[in-house]
Amino acid sequence: MQLTQDALWYKDAIIYQIHVRTFYDSNGDGIGDFQGLEQKLEYLQELGVNALWLMPFFPSPLRDAGYDIADYRSVHPSYGNLEDFRKFLNSAHERGIRVIIEMVMNHTSDQHPWFQQSRSSRDNAFRDWYVWSETDTRYKGTRIIFLDTEMSNWAWDPISKEYYWHRFFSHQPDLNFDNPAVVEEMWSVMKFWLEAGVDGFRLDAVPYLTEREGTNCENLPETHTILKDFRRRLDEQFPGRMLLAEANQWPADLRPYFADGDEFHMAFHFPLMPRMFMGVKLEDRKPITEILQQTPEIPATCQWCLFLRNHDELTLEMVTDIERDYMYDVYAKNKTMRLNLGIRRRLAPLLDNDRRCIELMNGMLMSLPGTPIIYYGDEIGMGDNVNLGDRDGVRTPMQWSGGWNAGFSTADPESLCAPLILNPIYGYPAINALSQRRTPHSLFSWMRQMIAVRRSARVFGRGSIEFLYPANHRILAFVRRFENETVLVVNNLSSAAQAVELDLQRFMGSILIEMFGKNIFPRVGKLPYLLTLGPYQFYWFQLRRV
Amino acid sequence: MIEELSTPESPGALRTDVKMTEEGFLTDDFVRQLINVGEIDILVGLPTCNNAKTIGPVIAAIQSGILQWFSRDRAAIIDADAGSRDGTPELVAGASIDDVQQRAFNRVALRTLHSISTQYGSSVARGTALRTILSAVELLRAKATAIISPDSSNIQPDWLRVLLKPISTENFDLVLPTYARHKFEGLLITNLLYPVTRAVYGLRIREPYASEFAFSGRMGSQFLAQNSWNDESARAGSEVRITLAAITGGFRIGQSFLGAKNHVEQHAADLVLALRQTIGVLFWSMESNFSLWSNKTGSQPIPTTGTEQEFTIHPQRVNRKRLHEMFRSGVVELESVFRSILSPPTLAELQRIAGLEEDDFYYSAEWWVKTVYEFAAAHHKAVISRDHIIQALAPLFRGRALTFLLENRSSSAAEVEANIESLCLEFERLKPYLLEMWAGRE
Repeated sequence: MQLTQDALWYKDAIIYQIHVRTFYDSNGDGIGDFQGLEQKLEYLQELGVNALWLMPFFPSPLRDAGYDIADYRSVHPSYGNLEDFRKFLNSAHERGIRVIIEMVMNHTSDQHPWFQQSRSSRDNAFRDWYVWSETDTRYKGTRIIFLDTEMSNWAWDPISKEYYWHRFFSHQPDLNFDNPAVVEEMWSVMKFWLEAGVDGFRLDAVPYLTEREGTNCENLPETHTILKDFRRRLDEQFPGRMLLAEANQWPADLRPYFADGDEFHMAFHFPLMPRMFMGVKLEDRKPITEILQQTPEIPATCQWCLFLRNHDELTLEMVTDIERDYMYDVYAKNKTMRLNLGIRRRLAPLLDNDRRCIELMNGMLMSLPGTPIIYYGDEIGMGDNVNLGDRDGVRTPMQWSGGWNAGFSTADPESLCAPLILNPIYGYPAINALSQRRTPHSLFSWMRQMIAVRRSARVFGRGSIEFLYPANHRILAFVRRFENETVLVVNNLSSAAQAVELDLQRFMGSILIEMFGKNIFPRVGKLPYLLTLGPYQFYWFQLRRV
Repeated sequence: MIEELSTPESPGALRTDVKMTEEGFLTDDFVRQLINVGEIDILVGLPTCNNAKTIGPVIAAIQSGILQWFSRDRAAIIDADAGSRDGTPELVAGASIDDVQQRAFNRVALRTLHSISTQYGSSVARGTALRTILSAVELLRAKATAIISPDSSNIQPDWLRVLLKPISTENFDLVLPTYARHKFEGLLITNLLYPVTRAVYGLRIREPYASEFAFSGRMGSQFLAQNSWNDESARAGSEVRITLAAITGGFRIGQSFLGAKNHVEQHAADLVLALRQTIGVLFWSMESNFSLWSNKTGSQPIPTTGTEQEFTIHPQRVNRKRLHEMFRSGVVELESVFRSILSPPTLAELQRIAGLEEDDFYYSAEWWVKTVYEFAAAHHKAVISRDHIIQALAPLFRGRALTFLLENRSSSAAEVEANIESLCLEFERLKPYLLEMWAGRE
């Protein structure tokens, strides 16, 4: 299979997020690796995804799942080497699957040689590669992100006797992007991987690249200037590659990251995700429509990235206090499930393993405007382990089978990189890819069909959206249009059956074709179009004039 | 307060503009709106008719109360309207919070709030309005419902909390209000309905005839099912009727203090109508619940949030001369009626009192209690038309009201409360007299 040559490939992508470490271990050392990942490409191709987002796989002390990088130009020895990566990349491309890797440019590990040099003395050539200060009182208006672990954004360095700036863990010093050498070095790193053939970067923590006194040190103009510079170089030297922004911000603050189509190609829509969960629990579309109404238009070449869950906690930074309290109460009653301003749980447990609700959420993920991301394991309904520290509970080994170590590794169970899920509901004997691939009505099989239908119509990745606002607030209904394609999506957010009357006057005369079963529904007439939907049911209809 | 009325003896001669059957009671449009609302936790019912002048603050307070105290609950405001022509239903509908009208980030409202209106008729019929709301309560399976008067101009958002929380969190079935009233306000309640209800059923319910109250889903369902709504007498005085249904049905009753009550009384002078809807309903209730009340002695307080009652004593003009004249003329003109209702000693005492000048006027608690009990017994026996019995009580109540005014002319709030308590105790003390009259009349 060939990769499409379309420069807007990311708009039609179905992205699958993978942690190499926990995906598949090919050499029996208990740790996932690139050779293992390459062996599992067939599975991913069968699922139907056409892009992978790999979490950091670089050399790192792994104090933050690899987001603490110690060497940007190599592969962590546990996962293989550069050759293994290149081989995997080629295999993915041969299967029509693109690969997006992490570019963690805001900070490094404190074990990175740059920081070791920087802290070695105030006169060192790398001193200015990080943000140092004699006091810890600068940039007072800056919030602390990891509230549960960090007291300050400054940390004292006993070696060089100054404070260094860190927006995340104190072992992750922020790079100084006011230093042109840092900017050049980061582009050099990007260029290294682009030349290796990667299709895009997820740029981690981009709002925080620069700092200015009197601001909250987020989304600063200087940051945008740097990012635009990277984009310009990318377009000039590597056309067709893509930049994805991780900026956990309100829609209005996110919009500048698209600029005039000359900064990021894509950005995560962080505020939408918790509101999808809120919508199904409240059985009310209001949170979803409200945030999408507040979402500004973006340039035609840009795209939102949508997700339900990922490797981090379900972030509740972009919700109001009243919404956060509600989310905690309904999704994280047990306080061990809470971390920072979020909930560290996987999709299936969040939704009480309700298959219908899981399907509905994935249905919305695939039909709302944007490119969907599936977090590894969620396609089979994997569970989590809230007893593990930090966010490790949602980063347990992929459950491939009901056999030894869930089919993840042949190592002794005690030597696995992370404990397996063992409980009777989500444990690997009950939830695993092998059995689900063999079962036509498993969640995996359903996801495969859903992805196939989504990929069959470009309208989902590229079309406009118009909400219908039926009087029944439990129904989220919208029309997607692209060129000559029109799709009507109707979602029942309620756990009970619902009736809804849709105003489809403007489509009078059209017939509705249900996209999964291909059955024809009655023609749209003058009267409101009456539909009944079972609990958490949803419909995708193609509208056709016959 | 206007009710669709006929005499209870002739229920076939109902005066109502609403043609309805049980199965088709709600209009298709209203049912469609209810489908859109769906199952809810909290319902606020408004019986309206041309309340545009007052409904604004009321609806704002309700919306605010829901957002403040029930933000996570599925809630709806339902207006049962009697054909307003001043835009009242539109004002109610404006309280909706949804993604259609709002189009802005509502940082307070977590979920959609439906505020809908239905017209049940073209003239005011509070019983039918309540029936409409109760039908919605049942269809929507509302767990707790508050009825709010559309002319409660001083309503506070907190009213919703104190009325509904006892139901939603403490399993009460009916929550009635208590108010801060002027000492001469609500004389029908303080001198008749409250003490009689208390003495008969043994429960100290301060406002059995409330325009604001709240009830549970199961209480609402039972009341809707039990009441024969096609019978006019069953629709009249529905507020008292639901209180009595709670008492006789063994439901859990509570009270909540709402503070001052500014109520626009449009027909305050229609005493006969008020008597029909209060003491008339109570007398009917006594008829069918004899075994329940006859052996009760004394009275019990009921759980109350906040103070039980507050009286204010700012000056208020009362036309005592008119009360005096109406009492005297009533005693004279209705003498033949009273001979059928009252015992000779009681009638003689009333005639003696009627001869007193205004300054010397005194209708004692004891004789007032005996009068009321003899009326109850006469109503039980139906010595004459029961509606005429109720009408005949009107001039005598005016006499008792005059005495209350004179007695409490310069009383403090505490003294007024003590006098009302004393009257209640007199009703309780003389309950054997009621039983004697009741049996004697048999």
